[in-house]
Amino acid sequence: MRVLWLSSIACNGNTHSFLNYPYMEQFLNDFEFIYHPVIDSNYSLKEIVTETIACDILLIEGSISDEFKRADVPVVDIITKYAKIVKKIVTVGTCATFGGIFRESDYKDTTGLHFVKEVKIDKFKDLLNKTISLSGCPVHPEVLVNTLYAIKKSVDLQLDNFLRPKDYFAYTVHNGCTRNEYFEYKVDNHKFGELEGCMFYDHGCQAPFTHGSCNKILWNEVNSKTRAGLPCMGCTEPTFPKSNLFGTKKNMGIPQDLPLGVGKRTYLTLAGITKAFTIDRLEKKLFDD
Amino acid sequence: MIELIEKIEGEAKLDFSFEDGKIDFVDIEFMTARNIENILKGKSPLDALVINPRVCGICGHAHLIATVEALEDCYENIEISKKAKIIRELTLTFELIQNHFKWFYLVMRPLFGEKQEVLKATYPTQLMAKAIAVFGGQYPHTSYAIVGGVVCDVTEMDIIKVKHYIEEAIKFFELNVVQADTKDFLVCDNVDKVLKKSGDLPDILKEIKKKKYLHHGKSYDRFIAFGENSYFSKGKSHKTITTHNISMDHVKEYSNPNSLAKNVLYKDKYYEVGPLARAMINKVPLVKDAHRRYGDNIFSRIIARVCEIPQLLNHSKELLEQLDLSEPSYIEPSIDITKINGSGESAVEAARGSLIHKVDIENGVIKNYEIITPTQWNLGNGTKKKLGVSQKAMIGLEDVQTAELVFKTFDVCSVCTTH
Repeated sequence: MRVLWLSSIACNGNTHSFLNYPYMEQFLNDFEFIYHPVIDSNYSLKEIVTETIACDILLIEGSISDEFKRADVPVVDIITKYAKIVKKIVTVGTCATFGGIFRESDYKDTTGLHFVKEVKIDKFKDLLNKTISLSGCPVHPEVLVNTLYAIKKSVDLQLDNFLRPKDYFAYTVHNGCTRNEYFEYKVDNHKFGELEGCMFYDHGCQAPFTHGSCNKILWNEVNSKTRAGLPCMGCTEPTFPKSNLFGTKKNMGIPQDLPLGVGKRTYLTLAGITKAFTIDRLEKKLFDD
Repeated sequence: MIELIEKIEGEAKLDFSFEDGKIDFVDIEFMTARNIENILKGKSPLDALVINPRVCGICGHAHLIATVEALEDCYENIEISKKAKIIRELTLTFELIQNHFKWFYLVMRPLFGEKQEVLKATYPTQLMAKAIAVFGGQYPHTSYAIVGGVVCDVTEMDIIKVKHYIEEAIKFFELNVVQADTKDFLVCDNVDKVLKKSGDLPDILKEIKKKKYLHHGKSYDRFIAFGENSYFSKGKSHKTITTHNISMDHVKEYSNPNSLAKNVLYKDKYYEVGPLARAMINKVPLVKDAHRRYGDNIFSRIIARVCEIPQLLNHSKELLEQLDLSEPSYIEPSIDITKINGSGESAVEAARGSLIHKVDIENGVIKNYEIITPTQWNLGNGTKKKLGVSQKAMIGLEDVQTAELVFKTFDVCSVCTTH
């Protein structure tokens, strides 16, 4: 399959995240980049923008603005041209999907391909049924690569409301976090720099209400931000980046954003019960001497 | 004659002027800028730890470390454990190593007519990314270094794991890049010995000699480095004279009428930053030998960058030995950063050279943020009378292909240059 990797307003974080895919040899045997930001290709960017090169999948990295050009051609024109000939379009990362960090860049009216934050936009609405969104800042390499293989196999992927494959985005980032017990039993004394504790209560962790598989498939095959002790920043969501990312917003002591699908009453009832007991093991250091 | 230079984390336009068949001026234009500095204004200071790594996909970790140090510099007193400092230095070092491998295999070797070997770039860089992830959770784009230390705690088992990644990367280097025992390579002070070895680096260096490229890429022979850690010292160097007494107060940025990248000068002069600058200031014997023979040309620039790989791998092993796991990873600052009115600045050595961050905090939010990237130093777009470093390095060349090679020996990064 022939793939065009088109960068728009980006940091190239997805490009470099993709280079962390462990089975690259296999991938490069099965796919050909007609253009990629760092991998050599048979075509130059000039050829890509001035001609129409045969292509099966269009990957878009970075947020989109009418003002933004690549090789002197507006990126929206390049998208429009290739969208017509490809089988699928994949927005790679949160910028291309929702606008992301560079929604706030100096370019005018910067958006994702189909969304600006949660709001659907009309600009490319004809392409909605061709698009798969892979959000994340950056996208996880396995999420990208396996989605491309699914396209190659013509798998009928189930997508969520933001066109994200449920295989990866039906989970929350919380699923699989090694700090889960501190969350389950509401042990709210997390301190940075420790193996113990949950960052949801005070330090802004968005994992319980963020869609993603970070703790299921792990990053770089070894770890995740929350396992390391860094709060989930919600980088797969349309709202990324929110503000005051290292603090939990609360109303009357209750976190403003609750775990996905959990109502306030349910949460309060559960919290009330857990306050009635103390689990000694979770109050102590994990390696207790 | 305008040439679009591609695959440099974006593009740049080089407008070449020729006289008598030789390049007599090159106008360097970077066409895109996201204005991250503006995005930061009005935001909570700690949010900069999340936003700034997104300046760049290949050196974002340097931006994280520069950010945290600039924020900590806003404090009159702040205690950071030795353990946290070592961990930060380790992860930054791993990022430098992954960058150099990528540059060498994805950018440099293909310019010498070799087929791009993607796997030789990805295998060692994935090891380095894993090593960063052990501490930071993921790579790229972690924000694990926070004001007061680092968020992680590590165990002996993590240290063992990281050590194996380092050893594996050293093995890769010895099998592929320079076929020699790294211990011998690190003390080597004679480029002739390297040229006698096999490996992907000696191959390129031999090509440079064979193609008579040894005069290519000479610039001002003037170097500067502001970042300091347990391996690099700050200072400047001109021809054979090195001093360590420099101040960031003399660094000035100037907007550029033809490009979205700003020029940056020290005491009104252009300086080269990066691995060659670091090696000159830190007097790395092998690089000094290359420089003594050939000056600040492409040979010296390439050998300096690749040489940093085993140096830094070796140094990171030593850093791991120094880690005292009983120390705290994080010490909560006595004052919350949002209660501080003040300014801070930092300089770190990123893959491409000195990276400077400056921040003003007022009433709990970022009032002003300034980022000066290494590529701004090297790729400044000066005038005919006062050329930037890479411009000067391209003067006198006879064709644009060779000029592109010279330009790319500076390890060009479009997204960083304009940020």
